[in-house]
Amino acid sequence: MTELFSNLALGFSVALNLTNLMYCFIGVFLGTLIGVLPGIGPVATIAMLLPITFNLPPTPALIMLAGIYYGASYGGSTTAILVNLPGESSSVVTCIDGYQMGRQGRAGPALAISAIGSFFAGTVGTVLIALFGPPLAELAFEFGAAEYFSMMALGLVSAVVLAHGSLIKAVCMILVGLLLGIVGTDVNSGMARYSFGISELSDGIGFVSVAMGMFGFGEIIANLEQGIQREVNTSKVGSLMPSWTDLKMSFGPIMRGTALGTIFGLLPGSHTVIAAFSSYTLEKKLTKDPSRFGKGAIEGVAGPESANNAAAQTSFIPLLTLGIPTGAVMALMVGAMTIQGIAPGPQVMTQKPDLFWGMIASMWVGNLMLVILNLPLIGMWVQFLKIPYRLLYPGIILFCCIGAFSVNNSPAEVYLAAMFGFFGYFSNKWGCEPGPLLLGFVLGPLMEENLRRAMLISRGDATVFFTRPISAGMLIVAIFLLLIIVVPQVRKKREEVAYESAD
Amino acid sequence: MALKIRSIKDFNAGLMFIGIGSVFAFGASQYPMGTAVRMGPAYFPTFLGWGTIALGLFVLIQSFVSEDKPPTPTAWRALILVLGAVCAFGALINTGGLIAATLAVVIISALGGHEFTWKAAITSAIILSIAMWAIFLKGLGLPFQLFPWS
Repeated sequence: MTELFSNLALGFSVALNLTNLMYCFIGVFLGTLIGVLPGIGPVATIAMLLPITFNLPPTPALIMLAGIYYGASYGGSTTAILVNLPGESSSVVTCIDGYQMGRQGRAGPALAISAIGSFFAGTVGTVLIALFGPPLAELAFEFGAAEYFSMMALGLVSAVVLAHGSLIKAVCMILVGLLLGIVGTDVNSGMARYSFGISELSDGIGFVSVAMGMFGFGEIIANLEQGIQREVNTSKVGSLMPSWTDLKMSFGPIMRGTALGTIFGLLPGSHTVIAAFSSYTLEKKLTKDPSRFGKGAIEGVAGPESANNAAAQTSFIPLLTLGIPTGAVMALMVGAMTIQGIAPGPQVMTQKPDLFWGMIASMWVGNLMLVILNLPLIGMWVQFLKIPYRLLYPGIILFCCIGAFSVNNSPAEVYLAAMFGFFGYFSNKWGCEPGPLLLGFVLGPLMEENLRRAMLISRGDATVFFTRPISAGMLIVAIFLLLIIVVPQVRKKREEVAYESAD
Repeated sequence: MALKIRSIKDFNAGLMFIGIGSVFAFGASQYPMGTAVRMGPAYFPTFLGWGTIALGLFVLIQSFVSEDKPPTPTAWRALILVLGAVCAFGALINTGGLIAATLAVVIISALGGHEFTWKAAITSAIILSIAMWAIFLKGLGLPFQLFPWS
């Protein structure tokens, strides 16, 4: 227990350092700013803003990136409430009742409750990371290559199972991601694989190009195709202060949402959407009058918003302790850490405690900043919402280009990003989501390395994955997850969720 | 029995996965396979490549079985102009400097939108050029060349 406090004290001394505080603020601010703009999800936002952290030392760079992430998530909720256009997939649920509240002139309380709920969830998430981080990291030190391989397999499987859309196409996207990830020089033999004689490719495909192409350019083209229509509830933001009844009604949903979100965030796979949906369903079941839902029920904002923020926060736990990204955003964080010369994993905590604990403390600081920043500045965000998309997207493309170029100061990355934009646009059109691909892409080289090592140690005996208990346990869970999805009822339920979120 | 494609989405996606899988599976034949104990560079991609082909085939077969809405028509204009703008940036950044690349990206990509006006495109190109200079050269000190002669 004392260790926890000394760790947190170290963390806060780093996070409250004036420079880091400033970078945290810039991150949260920029993240919200871009997140508010419709049609740009958190992944594209982080990818786009990544280059501005290249020249920073690791600690402020990661603090800033984390800030960008929750800023972008919060910005997404603001858009959902004011424009009925989810800035990201997890605010789809917030759209349902949040926008209705906005239409009744209660956008102010909706925004305030969403901020309060998110802050509470963020605080709980931060404490949980601090509590469970060290023991999990210790456990991870016991892991051998077989365990790592099985854990990544489990991560990939659960990412597909709980994602929406076609299961088999998601598995295909993961396989393609894994394959793309191993393009470049093979560490063991020094042989350049699939480089087609292009020298830039022998260093591997830059993950920034993949992320920007698939998420940034792909999304922009899709948005231009549909033409974004917006109805902004600007004049009716109204008083921000939620009434006493609002607060009382939101208390339960916030608590339950946080609990649900925490659990979903810890599971491998990107679960903010599922967390938000489950919370919404739960509140609808618990309320005395379910007919209010969909017509501006504050519980329908408070619960899902807390759940999605709690999940966003706790999804850092597998990344920071085990070095395993659980979703597209965490995959981006892995890339950012690698660019900074840090290999994510349990050793970060022991070798760079100031970075580890500083980042955790800064998450709480960042969540606090979100509340302070967003409520008074809401008028400004509304103005940003009014900027027409046709003026915005050229700037976004430009930012992405500069970002892709500055990874290696090479135009090759820019061309690669264009290629992935093409690929991303068509794969999305044909019902294949880019998220699993990015996850596979980051895990590709890691999986291959651990598979090789495990097989070398076991002298070619593939049963090693099932004879070591932890590894076997994880593989059994993975197989179980794949099996239950084939069960007709589960499958139907999953399709319903996918259908609702596609609306 | 006449085969009818019931889902264009699945049909195309299936072909795409078979194609990508083939590139990796057959491309791997150039590299040593190794053994299960000492895996060569071809081992992992061969397995994954064949896996992708197999699942791609499955998706392809599915396209004849389960009905789905056809995909929305391709926005070729937006696609070509947006990606063209990106390629123009790549071509110009080292030879023409940051300003020329910025102007090219903004104007070409703006052409891909629905409501294009020269006035708006040129104004935002100029504003963004100044912003890029301020953010990346002055603010972050990235080593960009502003003009070809600077």
